[in-house]
Amino acid sequence: MAEKKLSQKALNKSFWNWYYGHLTCFSQEHMQTFGYLCAMLPLVEELYDTKEEQKDAMQTYTAFFNTEPQLGTVIVGVTAGLEEAKANGEGVDGDVINGIRAGLMGPVAGIGDSLVVGTLIPILLGIAMGLSTGGSPIGAIFYIVAWNVICTLGMRFLYFKGYELGGKAVEFLVGEQAAAIREAITMIGTVVIGAVAATWISISTSLVIIEPSAETAGITLQSTLDSVFPKLLSAIFVILCWFLMSKKKMTPLKVMLLLVVIAFVGVLVGFFDPQLTY
Amino acid sequence: MSISVWQATLLGIFACLASMPGMGGSVIGNYTLGRPLVGGLVVGIILGDVQTGIIAGAAAQMVYIALVTPGGTVSADVRAVSYIGIPLSVLAIRNMGLTGEAATSMATTMGAAVGTLGTVLFYGTSTLNLIWQHIGWKAVEKGEFKKLYLVDMGLPWISHLICSFLPTFIITLMGAQMVDVIKNYLPMDGMAMKTLFTVGSLLPAVGVAILLKQVVTKATDLLTFFFGFTLAACMGLNLIGAAIVGGFFAVITYQIKTLQNKKSTDPTGGAGSFNEDEEDI
Repeated sequence: MAEKKLSQKALNKSFWNWYYGHLTCFSQEHMQTFGYLCAMLPLVEELYDTKEEQKDAMQTYTAFFNTEPQLGTVIVGVTAGLEEAKANGEGVDGDVINGIRAGLMGPVAGIGDSLVVGTLIPILLGIAMGLSTGGSPIGAIFYIVAWNVICTLGMRFLYFKGYELGGKAVEFLVGEQAAAIREAITMIGTVVIGAVAATWISISTSLVIIEPSAETAGITLQSTLDSVFPKLLSAIFVILCWFLMSKKKMTPLKVMLLLVVIAFVGVLVGFFDPQLTY
Repeated sequence: MSISVWQATLLGIFACLASMPGMGGSVIGNYTLGRPLVGGLVVGIILGDVQTGIIAGAAAQMVYIALVTPGGTVSADVRAVSYIGIPLSVLAIRNMGLTGEAATSMATTMGAAVGTLGTVLFYGTSTLNLIWQHIGWKAVEKGEFKKLYLVDMGLPWISHLICSFLPTFIITLMGAQMVDVIKNYLPMDGMAMKTLFTVGSLLPAVGVAILLKQVVTKATDLLTFFFGFTLAACMGLNLIGAAIVGGFFAVITYQIKTLQNKKSTDPTGGAGSFNEDEEDI
């Protein structure tokens, strides 16, 4: 029997099915499972001729699946490679594939959340918000183009790299080299987040320490704080929220409600005053 | 300014595309159309005021700059932030004549309030999807694989018609009246509005903190955050500048890590005598 090789057409179809469909039919119970089934279907149909074989192969992918979908494309690629090996009888079976798949989805979700959602998107959005200051659409357009180009090319690369490497990709994804790259990228992310915070948060107090009179200009708490460290209040509030969420395990919703209380009390005692009129 | 039936219909369709889990797919849908900044552009075009749309979008974006959904748990819903919150903000900004910081604070608060309430829509959609998935399992059992496409990419539109389109359509259509009510009963120098706008200036801190929680694993990582903060606050660098400086330190970090890896796999070669000192870092 001739060796089975997946055609470029089937691989492309599989990739686009995943690219579009990984979250469309999301539920809390099965999450991305149906997206995965759709991604594998073109491959399974090409590799196996009889309905029974196809059913058997699809059964493998009915197992629960959920990961960070952009970086997770590499897992789909890996299983494409493994399924091909399985069809050629290279000692791979459904259990092996599912083992690798289940083993990868956790680590990949962790890397993906901090890399894609935690670093790449905030950097792009941060730059875009800077470009959109004053209501210019340039920033939004920049984000649309930059994100989609980077993401689409990146996902394509990951899919085909995963397919090429098959099971060997595991080492690349959870090895030491990957950890070093992850740490380096998180570094840029954290610096940018700091800059985002300083650029985009402006919390100021209206509290007056010495009332201005005819002779003196008066002293406000805000000007005193600014001379200590610019944007000190913004920094304090970020750290407070971070502390409550990561150390006290409060949900973002509870922190937001707490801020409403702080704002109310602050306005009441004259610490905050937006000084606005219609 | 008010929102017409056609405008509300368009907003409803975009809400279907942009949500998580949405019909636009996550790359184009959730991560592009769902971002409030992009939502601001889309809403601005639909309502015919791009500038106000973008201002409202950028303000709401700050709170959700890193909307991470670990394991599918959401703290805010982007379809509600972008396609209910922003249209209402634009109406409020225009009809109340807000400018500058008042406009941003209005949009921030409106976005956060609507986004939080919108999580109901997220759970509604994903629960309805269970029905289609049930159909899907039957199809897999019978070997009718073509049906999977319908289940994954077709039927969820029904979930969205109920949980995305209708709420967006109804709320935005009523928007102008709601804004009038707010304007008449809540004067700007009253406690309620003062608190509202103060909350608007505080909320972005939560957005940044959510992001910080993702990247800070040890206390010293906070120093990296303050490094970036100082670059922008004291030295006036913009984000691209900060990203370049950050990138430089990232390269150094990578090289140190690679050296450490080499050392641990190959104890005889590599860095040599200062090995022990590095161990503690």
